[in-house]
Amino acid sequence: MDPAIRMTAVTKTFGRMTAVDDLHLEVPRGGLYGFIGPNGAGKTTAIRMIMSILLPDAGEISILGHSSALEAKDRIGYLPEERGLYKRMKVRPFLRYLARLKGADGPDLDRRIAGALERVGLGGVESKRCDELSKGMSQKVQFVAATIHAPDLLILDEPFSGLDPVSMRMLRDLILAEHRRGATVLFSTHVMPQAEEICEHVIMVHEGRKVLDADLDDIRGRYDPRSIRFEPLDPGADTTGLASVPGVERIRPDGQGLEILLAAGTDPASAMRRIMDATAAARIELARPRLEDVFVDLVAGGGAAEADRLRVALRNAAEGEPA
Amino acid sequence: MTRILHVALRDFLATVATKGFVFGLLVLPVVLALLAIVGPRIFNDQAYRIEGEYAVIDPTGVVLPELRAELEPEAVARRRREEFARTAGWAREVLGDMADAALRQSMDEALGPAPDIRLTALPADADVEAAKSWLNEQTDGLPHAALIVVHGHAVEPAAPGGELGAYDLYTAPGLDDRDLAFIYRNVRDAIVDARVGARSLDRAALDALLRVPRQPSTTVSPDGERTTVRGFNRILPFAFMALLLMGIMAGGQTMLTSTIEEKSTRVVEVLLSAVSPMELMAGKLLGAVAISLLMIGLYLGIGLVALSSFSMLGLLDPWLILYLLIFFLIGFFVIGSLMLAVGAAVNDMTEAQSLQMPLMLVVMLPWIFWPAVSRNPDSVLAVTVSHLPPVNTFGMLLRLASSQPPPWWEVWLSIGTGLVSVVAAVWVAAKVFRIGLLMYGKPPDFRTLIRWVRAA
Repeated sequence: MDPAIRMTAVTKTFGRMTAVDDLHLEVPRGGLYGFIGPNGAGKTTAIRMIMSILLPDAGEISILGHSSALEAKDRIGYLPEERGLYKRMKVRPFLRYLARLKGADGPDLDRRIAGALERVGLGGVESKRCDELSKGMSQKVQFVAATIHAPDLLILDEPFSGLDPVSMRMLRDLILAEHRRGATVLFSTHVMPQAEEICEHVIMVHEGRKVLDADLDDIRGRYDPRSIRFEPLDPGADTTGLASVPGVERIRPDGQGLEILLAAGTDPASAMRRIMDATAAARIELARPRLEDVFVDLVAGGGAAEADRLRVALRNAAEGEPA
Repeated sequence: MTRILHVALRDFLATVATKGFVFGLLVLPVVLALLAIVGPRIFNDQAYRIEGEYAVIDPTGVVLPELRAELEPEAVARRRREEFARTAGWAREVLGDMADAALRQSMDEALGPAPDIRLTALPADADVEAAKSWLNEQTDGLPHAALIVVHGHAVEPAAPGGELGAYDLYTAPGLDDRDLAFIYRNVRDAIVDARVGARSLDRAALDALLRVPRQPSTTVSPDGERTTVRGFNRILPFAFMALLLMGIMAGGQTMLTSTIEEKSTRVVEVLLSAVSPMELMAGKLLGAVAISLLMIGLYLGIGLVALSSFSMLGLLDPWLILYLLIFFLIGFFVIGSLMLAVGAAVNDMTEAQSLQMPLMLVVMLPWIFWPAVSRNPDSVLAVTVSHLPPVNTFGMLLRLASSQPPPWWEVWLSIGTGLVSVVAAVWVAAKVFRIGLLMYGKPPDFRTLIRWVRAA
């Protein structure tokens, strides 16, 4: 069976800027894929090409077995990064309009709309005008609009941006529910912990190029844990001596404790023993490799200054600040 | 196709199902009706009273008495009766049978109250320069309005066979033009009366000889005869051009604002996930054309009912309505699709104004050449504008509605040219529309738009 999405050697330039550069990716049917990378990595451009909103300069794209998303639009649900509602339209006519554009018409459409709104906790808002909804409510209505026709493929571009933690959790559950229903899900985010929480597989892009395409479990297995979280028993203890413990490359504050980075090739078990010998520990654990670390490791190529710059950029972007 | 219809239906309903649209649609006929009913009462001159003191230097000695006679209340009343008779004749020609009493009342209202004039005779050899200063003297009574200096040879020539003189007129500052017209008319009549008297002729007999009342005209056509309606041939082209313009502007403006709204509220990308840019554009054009047709249909219907109620429906060639429809569709798709492209290229209405300016100028052109084309439908200007896109729709419709319609082959040549311009305009608009929809930030200038057209 054809994969849900296949991009082969796809390139897109805007003037002198290459937004997507020779991108190859494949999302199998039923997959739950994260498309991750910092702001400006080319995620939205790639997604717009998948949706046939933009046309690639080079390369081929296949969607649900078709050469263009235009031929399978009724089977695709799409929540763009730049999304909105008709302010003066009421919720039910808006959802009815989008459902009909997606070919989901029929006598039970209003009932389905009511049910979908109920599921996202918006029962009874059908008759409200869209400009009367709060931001969180608007986002949920937009999600309903993207899924009301029960699509085979759901593409979500930065679905969590601007959401409060409660709405974020609800949206995550809704995405997982769509996946359980059988939909293939591809969502983009620059907030890597979100991808870690939801995805089975991640595709990382940086400056238009793919830098990683792997299952999350493979990533965890492939990238050695080189980070130890440590909290001293005595909060006032002098921990400067830990930097001279053999195998320790760098120490940096991490919440109430420290994050200790090990040099490449160091045995984590031995290093942990030596750290505990140097300073009594209230807590010490080997951290699983985070996507952020993997990304930084792949992109920075071992340069400490570049790695720090990338980390700051990723965290700023995650907090909504300029990267 | 179904998607296009869904887009069209949404855009149509989003516009017509609003109070603003219904109000806007009805406001024009209501304003016209109000003007017809209330206008005469607001705009007539009934409150204006002609009054003042006129100083007269009359070396002939016969003009001033005639002028006094002209300004006698009885003479004024006589002239009003004559005016009424002339106007009634004209009005019956245009309006059919209207009660004389109503006409007389309208005339009285239009002519205003009887004038209040005092004549002051100055000596025949009075110093004109000194008399002029009288015009600016303050007075508690009637204002000093005019100094009339009759020429010595105004009644009899200075030498046998010589030319007759007239008079010099000096007026006070700020004298109303209605006062001036009153003076001209009465001094002229006074001098003519004096000349007629000097030759021992009968003024009444002369007037009777000179009077040939205008008779109602009858238009004879293969379908029969009917009373000629004056002015219809001038009003009809204007009415059709106005309908065409209103329809195009209403639809074009709707598309412009709805596209800008979809861009600014970021709905557009959601829509593009469901329809292609071309389907979206086609749907919007279809929705807007339906809005415009609704508007034109309503106004045309009102016009036909009005013509029918005055028994003038037969004056309208039914083919004109078909041509109105054809030229409306051509004009709409040319101007409307370009307005749609402007809407897709900008972020808000302020930015739209500068890009919209050339289109607005094109739309304004018909107002400029309407009188020339409707009066001389075979002139070089008329023929040129009726074949030159995008104004050919207006130009040809004006010629068709004029008294000298062009030959059929010219009409269909203009339609053909129009169709070619539709294809070109939609092609350009589609390219700009596709790129512009997802462009935010700095609005494009004309050079950028041209690059989009060439790149897409």
